[in-house]
Amino acid sequence: MLILTRKEDESIKIGDNILIKVISISGNQVRLGIDAPKNSLIFRYELYEKIKQENLESSKIDITYFNKIKEIIK
Amino acid sequence: MSITLNTARFGELTIDEDKIILFPEGIPGFTELKRYILLDYKDTELKWLQAIDDGDVAFIVAPPWVVTKNYNITVDEKTKDLLELIDEKDLCILIILRVEGETVKANLAGPILINSSNKKAVQAIVDLDIFSKIL
Repeated sequence: MLILTRKEDESIKIGDNILIKVISISGNQVRLGIDAPKNSLIFRYELYEKIKQENLESSKIDITYFNKIKEIIK
Repeated sequence: MSITLNTARFGELTIDEDKIILFPEGIPGFTELKRYILLDYKDTELKWLQAIDDGDVAFIVAPPWVVTKNYNITVDEKTKDLLELIDEKDLCILIILRVEGETVKANLAGPILINSSNKKAVQAIVDLDIFSKIL
């Protein structure tokens, strides 16, 4: 992993189209501003990972569970 | 035009190409799978979201009101751009359900958003207090 040190108001650029700016730092929190192409989705990493785990679990669902879900939600 | 696919749960399916739902970015965990189809099943509000390019991958989905009465999410501009959503009326929201033990878990933080006018879709990630609702 590339590690860079940046101060408030300084930025990094990734490729031609992505700019990440350090807006402010207070305590252990950093506020970032991100400029990226319209079609690129930006997520908080830990939320993305949670959804990914949920999706991996959910995709394995057995066909017999359909009736079980139907029963529970009705 | 129709295409035929082999699925783990439903055997061989022939589907109309017009019905294909395109996730340009895939979904987390399955970013390589872009094409899905919604299958009605057993006359309920539940549907199967079946991946076209991997017959093993399918999700049980339902409209939010099946899970909770109050489900309000804001669709941000980026997501609207990705969906090419012009009219909010075209937005269809589905929640992924799964079984955990004796309960049903609903992934409210990762709703599937479909633009019904062009069949483009995305899994949004919303920062909700309730990550998943157990029924």
